[in-house]
Amino acid sequence: MAWGGSEGTNRVHADIDALKGFHEALVRFRHVQRSVAERSDDEIEMTRASLAAKASHWQARLEQSQAEFDACRAGPGADCSGYARAVEEAGDWLDHIRRWQQRVDEAAGEFRGTAGAFWDLLQDDLPRAESLLQALIADLEAARRVQAGAS
Amino acid sequence: MHTRPDRDGQEQLRLAGAAWEEAAQYWQDEVARRFETGHWTPLVQQSRTYLEALRDLMDLLETADRDTEF
Repeated sequence: MAWGGSEGTNRVHADIDALKGFHEALVRFRHVQRSVAERSDDEIEMTRASLAAKASHWQARLEQSQAEFDACRAGPGADCSGYARAVEEAGDWLDHIRRWQQRVDEAAGEFRGTAGAFWDLLQDDLPRAESLLQALIADLEAARRVQAGAS
Repeated sequence: MHTRPDRDGQEQLRLAGAAWEEAAQYWQDEVARRFETGHWTPLVQQSRTYLEALRDLMDLLETADRDTEF
């Protein structure tokens, strides 16, 4: 950055303020994106837990329906079609939920690669960029003090 | 209020971009160009890639939840 005279002094103030604003925005960005990454993991785990609970519910319904169907069939000449439908419905739901569990696992696995690279950026590259800006701001402030002392 | 993490991430990227635009008005030397090439542009590109992947994943999780309600 080059400056000179009173106009230059104003310019340096503006430069420093804009750089400080950018530096603060980057620090905030890093903190918020870390929180975003952590919340994303929570969302994945919540969905997995919810799907597991639903699968467990339909597994229990399937077993119960199957037992009722078997008991009906063991009896003489009863119409067991309602029990058969209940078994089929519970089985269909269980398959449906298991397909979703698989899809979520696959998508979460693919996402991990992208998330890992971004996490490295937040942990390593971004703090380096922040330090560089911090050093630049310190240099500019030192130059401003020298300039103010000379005038 | 509960907001999706990908939307908060997008908003922070937008705010950082606005702060960069402001700083870039005053900061136009060789150091600025190196900073843009070496730090800022890769940061924006990787953030976009990550946030788009996150948006797709959050969409999928919402759909999974909705589609398995009984």
